[in-house]
Amino acid sequence: MGGRANGRRAWWEDGMSEIVRVSDLTKAYQGGVTGALNGISLAIEAGEFTAIMGPSGSGKSTLLNLIAGLDRPTGGSVTVAGTDLGRLGESGLARFRRDHIGFVFQFFHLLPNLTALENVLIPAQLKSTTSAEAAGRKLLEQLGIKEMADRYPAKLSGGQQQRVAIARALINNPALLLADEPTGALDTASGEQVMSLLAELHRQGQTIVLVTHDAKLATRHAARVVSIVDGRVVDDARLETTERAAADVIRVRSEEMTR
Amino acid sequence: MTAVIVKALADLRRRRLQAAVIFLTVLLSMSAGTMAVTLMSQTRDPYQAAFDIQKGAHLQVAYKAGTDPQLLSGTPGTIGASASGGPYQVTSIQLKFGDRKFFVDAVGRDNPRGDVEVLNITSGRWPQANDEIALTRSFSELNHISVGDRLKVTSVAQTPLLTVVGQVVDIDEGSSDLSSQRAWVLPAAVTALTSPDSAYYLMDYRFASDPTNAQLQDSINRLRAGLPAGSITGSLNYILIRNIFNITNQILTDVLSAFSVFALAATVAIVATLVTGIVISAYREIGIMKAIGFMPAEVVGVFALQIVIPALAACLVGIPLGTIVSQPLLANSSHALGLSYSPTFSIGLDLVLLAGGVLVVAAAATMPALRAGLLKPIAAIAKASAPRGATGRVLRKSAARAHLSRPLVLGIGDAFARPLRAILTLVTVLLGVATVVVAIGLPRSFELINNSETGAGQYQVVVTRTSGYSDSDVMRVLNAQPETARVVAVAGQNVAVPGVTDPVNTRLFRGDSSRIGYMVIAGRWFSAPGEVLAPAALLRDARLKIGDTFTGVASGQPLQLHVVGEIYDISNLGHSLFMDLATMTSVTPAVEPFQYDVTLAPGADLASYVRRVAATQPDLIDVHASDTSIITPVKIIDLVLLILAAVLALIGVGGVFNTLLLNTRERIRDTATLKALGMSPRQVIAMVAASAALLALVGGLMAMPAGLALHHVLNDVISSSAGNDTPPGAYAVFNPVELVLIPLLGVAVAVVAALIPGRWAARTNVVEVLHAE
Repeated sequence: MGGRANGRRAWWEDGMSEIVRVSDLTKAYQGGVTGALNGISLAIEAGEFTAIMGPSGSGKSTLLNLIAGLDRPTGGSVTVAGTDLGRLGESGLARFRRDHIGFVFQFFHLLPNLTALENVLIPAQLKSTTSAEAAGRKLLEQLGIKEMADRYPAKLSGGQQQRVAIARALINNPALLLADEPTGALDTASGEQVMSLLAELHRQGQTIVLVTHDAKLATRHAARVVSIVDGRVVDDARLETTERAAADVIRVRSEEMTR
Repeated sequence: MTAVIVKALADLRRRRLQAAVIFLTVLLSMSAGTMAVTLMSQTRDPYQAAFDIQKGAHLQVAYKAGTDPQLLSGTPGTIGASASGGPYQVTSIQLKFGDRKFFVDAVGRDNPRGDVEVLNITSGRWPQANDEIALTRSFSELNHISVGDRLKVTSVAQTPLLTVVGQVVDIDEGSSDLSSQRAWVLPAAVTALTSPDSAYYLMDYRFASDPTNAQLQDSINRLRAGLPAGSITGSLNYILIRNIFNITNQILTDVLSAFSVFALAATVAIVATLVTGIVISAYREIGIMKAIGFMPAEVVGVFALQIVIPALAACLVGIPLGTIVSQPLLANSSHALGLSYSPTFSIGLDLVLLAGGVLVVAAAATMPALRAGLLKPIAAIAKASAPRGATGRVLRKSAARAHLSRPLVLGIGDAFARPLRAILTLVTVLLGVATVVVAIGLPRSFELINNSETGAGQYQVVVTRTSGYSDSDVMRVLNAQPETARVVAVAGQNVAVPGVTDPVNTRLFRGDSSRIGYMVIAGRWFSAPGEVLAPAALLRDARLKIGDTFTGVASGQPLQLHVVGEIYDISNLGHSLFMDLATMTSVTPAVEPFQYDVTLAPGADLASYVRRVAATQPDLIDVHASDTSIITPVKIIDLVLLILAAVLALIGVGGVFNTLLLNTRERIRDTATLKALGMSPRQVIAMVAASAALLALVGGLMAMPAGLALHHVLNDVISSSAGNDTPPGAYAVFNPVELVLIPLLGVAVAVVAALIPGRWAARTNVVEVLHAE
């Protein structure tokens, strides 16, 4: 893969290092006896590849949604790229997502009646970026699906659709790329390709937060693994520091599986 | 079956908003339809009932005053009449009440009973003394004259006072807003009320069965043959009077019928759209239903039933509502006919309407629901709901080329993503906007025609004289006023026209009559003696066309006439002639003008002019400002049109709203994705509104020619029912700016209607929607 499609300097390259800070974050759903999140605090540095792991219902996707500004916390605060999301209204959050966040979904969520290229360009067009087409095509080329630009999602394989979704997430040069189980709907080979792409993006400096329940996947590509159980952080390991951390992550995952 | 009902009711609870749309559209269309059918079924019967009760005259003939009454007594036998009334001595009189003056024909009659033309006394009693008079109820009500009021007869020198002692309903004349009126005095009182040349004899004839026009014509011919030439001065038959009575309801029925078909078509379009949308959005559910054992017919039943239930409720409310709303019109008819009014409805008819309404809705719902019944379970579960592939691409590309923002581009692309739904929506918009075009255009056409009949803008003062004040005296007074710019004097005379039953009322003009506002439909205004214009009905019945020459008979004298033009005139439903006074005086020199249409110089004080001229001869002339107000029946038609336009516009808005609701619901996942990608609430609303705007714009643009064509057709139907062709000016009542503004207004309304689904889409909870996948 070559360099980033959009060459402008990002805000974190100006010296800020902490890109996400969540403080004492809680989230309770209506009717829920216990909260989905129960007082999570976490900071993520710019350039990190962080995997958030946990079993189903542990609150990992909820955490990701709150960081993306897709949902509002019951308590605590989320600050992303220097912006306290709690202070933003609906329109402010939309602008924030458009400017700072790239989101990759498990089920791709491409718009079915737009071509691959049109899907990629949507965030730029919502931002009124007029000359995004060249950047969009370049992204598709970098992701190896240049020839699919004019195809509709229904004509693409799952792996190809997820690459289109990644290109769409990158088109506005986001400070933070959030990926919610990006391989969950893919076969193993396609899943590996997608994870390799994310790893390559990380090597180029992209901050990535990945939600997954696959411990092996997380430890193979992420530099940091945050494990969540019942809405609490039960482990936070930086894998490049010690071999033990990776083993611990696997252990935590095994314990979760036996719960 | 229980499972079908349980599931349908559960779906109905879940889709309350869509149920409300169905309820409202069916309610509006059924109410309009019921009104039309109720009026249609009841219009002829009340007249016929009153005609039978009051022993209406099939034929009324006016004979000149000098005719021997003994000869007249033998005329019933000449034409084989089964009963007759008269000869009654009649004289035209001018009455003064307050500062207003009226002309009526005073009929000398001993009592209101008889074998023909029984007069139904609705208030007071029959005259018992020579200074008493009975008036028609419609004349009394129009002019606010009550029993006990005293009227001064200004057409004779003695100016006697008459006391109003009774009000009657006469089945043998039209209502006072459409026809001249009779009044009744004792026979002994007639002589004292008679001025020179104002008297005649009236004979009423009734036949064993209702005669046809040809039979009436034959009767007149035989009467003419058995009497001295010129004895018959006028005649009137029951067919014309019945048509005059029924014309308002007839026009209303035509208009209501056309628009209730529109409303029903729009309802069918909305129902089909709705069920198609529900089926598409419920594919997975259909698969599950089939998987757990629902039969195809039961699946169809579930979808059809959830539409039929609100439709049935709407019919149960709409049919009584339509019946109730039509009652004032029916009551008005009964009142005019002297019949006691009782609420009129037919249980059988209402049941037919109920069955018809529910069947139409059920059929519209079942066709798309069949698709649900035929789906294979696995395919249904697997099939996604939102449109896939290249739908809307061409529109999106066009919009993108126009440099519209992305939300607008997406919204425009979505508008026709479901082609069938879009087409059905266009139908509802088209019907709504077309009706609005008609509701705007027809009142203007009516006003234009009214202006031509009343000389609005052409002359401002109308002066009428009695025989006690000569034509030359009136002209001298008018010409002495400095503000008088133009005077057109009008006289009247009946002319027998070959092929036409009744002698034709002829308007005779002196002065520059071409400028008093009558609309010439074809040909030209008369410019020389012998030239004549006539409305379409007379030309048709007399088998004449422009350029033809025919010989009429006036006062027993042959009169050679050359048709030079077709004119618009609704009096006597298109049976009239227009010519120069000099044409008539060549055979009947005694004919003199009785009315003067005066055009004032610019800046003249109308009220001061009227006061000054009236003061010159308070009793013998009547001076009043020209009355250009629209008559009540036309006001009623205008109001009904306005209501219908509102109803169909509302249904059109409902159609757009319904489609947007379905589109936004189907695309909820896409909207959530767009929001996740940074689309702001305002941009979501703009996207939904763009869809609405495009649908409304296309529907509106298609509706304009359709509306103009419908306006054209209705003008023709209405003109034709009044015995005329439509004047070209009545079509051209729209200015180009309006033709642009009307569809744009439709777009604005649709955008407002889009705000509800737009806001709903904007508030989509991204997490909930995407998590649900």
